[in-house]
Amino acid sequence: MLEARALCLQHPARLDDVSATLRPGELSVILGPNGAGKSTLLHLLGGATRPLSGAVWLDGKPLAALSAAQLARQRALVEQQPARPAGMAVDTLLTIGVAEHSPAARQQAIDYTCIHDLLHRDCASLSGGELARVHLARALHQLLSSDSAPRYLLLDEPTAALDIGAANLQLASLRQIARQHQLGMVAVLHDVNLAVQHADRVLLLKAGRAVASGSADDTLQLPLLQALYDTPLRELRDDNGRRAFIAG
Amino acid sequence: MTTRSWLLLLASLTGLASVISLLAGHDVASSVAALLQLPGHDPLQRMLLLELRLPRIVSAAAAGALLACAGLAIQARFHNDLAEPGLIGISGGGALAAALALAAAWPAQLVSVAAFAGATLALLAIQTLAHGRAAAKLLLAGVAVNALCGSLLTLLITTLPDGGLRNVTFWLMGSFAGASATQAALLLTAAGVIACLLWRQAAFLQALQLGDRAAFYGGFDVGREGWRTVLLATLACGLVVAQCGMVGFIGLMAPHILRRLIGLQLRPLLLLTPLAGALLAVLADLIASQALYPAELPVGVITSLAGAPFFLYLLARQRGAHA
Repeated sequence: MLEARALCLQHPARLDDVSATLRPGELSVILGPNGAGKSTLLHLLGGATRPLSGAVWLDGKPLAALSAAQLARQRALVEQQPARPAGMAVDTLLTIGVAEHSPAARQQAIDYTCIHDLLHRDCASLSGGELARVHLARALHQLLSSDSAPRYLLLDEPTAALDIGAANLQLASLRQIARQHQLGMVAVLHDVNLAVQHADRVLLLKAGRAVASGSADDTLQLPLLQALYDTPLRELRDDNGRRAFIAG
Repeated sequence: MTTRSWLLLLASLTGLASVISLLAGHDVASSVAALLQLPGHDPLQRMLLLELRLPRIVSAAAAGALLACAGLAIQARFHNDLAEPGLIGISGGGALAAALALAAAWPAQLVSVAAFAGATLALLAIQTLAHGRAAAKLLLAGVAVNALCGSLLTLLITTLPDGGLRNVTFWLMGSFAGASATQAALLLTAAGVIACLLWRQAAFLQALQLGDRAAFYGGFDVGREGWRTVLLATLACGLVVAQCGMVGFIGLMAPHILRRLIGLQLRPLLLLTPLAGALLAVLADLIASQALYPAELPVGVITSLAGAPFFLYLLARQRGAHA
């Protein structure tokens, strides 16, 4: 399990006593308005940022007790604006962070992200969407080639560069990968409706505080979301009972 | 062209330049006779070739390789293509410390250690001043540290009574003339070792291309590995400065010329950069020794004459890219 226990931080964003439990095999979503500290929380969970107080525990050990190499076998992170290293072939990028070469894991990562045609391209020549897929493939390769457990994939706005259809497919496939490989997926999202459709668990973050956390059904409720975004929202339901939220 | 062909080409060119440099100013037949100890050869010429020319050329090649490695390492670590050991003050710090050690009559072995320490101190100062990785700040801090070290060095040399200390021009502009066989062997061994150690950093340096944080997520202890890279660079630079003075711009030119020729892929660059540096240094030394023969120019004059405009060109291109 990946657990945040009473995390506090002042910089780069304020976080106040944030706790959360993230389980393997599930897609957890962090939602919140701009500047709530979502990305910062993600980097705390990843270990790149150290909390002022509190700690993140991975499988019963505090992150600070694990080396960078040990951590890399158990968690990977895809940044919101991933690097575009000029002169590096996609093929080469895929190997970064992979400790043990595993052709099967590499192939799975390529298949999941459909980057077969991009392997020989220079990273500098990729479009925003292609680059996002390539970095997702790299992170998947890093985790799938490791035999450690539990493993976590942290994603900072994985759908930011994608259109509505691609974003939907992306999250559906991430959730499926999470189930199939018992990966814990943690995604920062801006789109409430993507969370409604795909999230198993949700953490609502506002001004550095966890407003609510729990199952998607419990947390994605109109009053909570209106308070979260300080915006009047309306909830729509179709005949199958599927819900969506719109502003206004 | 494959990396292997480039390797062969650069090695042959360096070999060719070295042979030309070895035989320059002498008639080829008599030089060959002297080298092969054919009957009737001139023993003085043989001594000149083997004990003066050869160590000088080997020193130049090894120093060039070391400086080029240092340049590439610093550029990769600080995500800054314009960084160069000479420009950011590492060489200046090394030269000042080496001169101080010489002035204090330290034994020769310790002079290199002092140069390494000086280079590292200068780097620490620059890093503290520049506060991270902003490209312009790093260079500006380097300019300040460079100016300070240069003037302290000049002050030191001019105030000391004429003695064991070499002259200001040697330190500020560098020279491979007068290199001994021991120096050549030291530099050559160091070049081999440092190039290999840097090659072993390849995976880290490649991950670093995605940024410091991404490299950490990829399993690298960025602080520790980063220091290892930087220490290799300062070690390379300190050694060269202690033995040959400050030879500028090779650390900038060698990796950049290679990038234009073979592309931006890191591993081939790591492999070929030492050779490119060696070639540039041997050529620069050849020009420095032959251009105004029998007078000799400091080799730094040649590398700076070529390197400074090259730097300005890179700067202009960078600005164009950012506009």
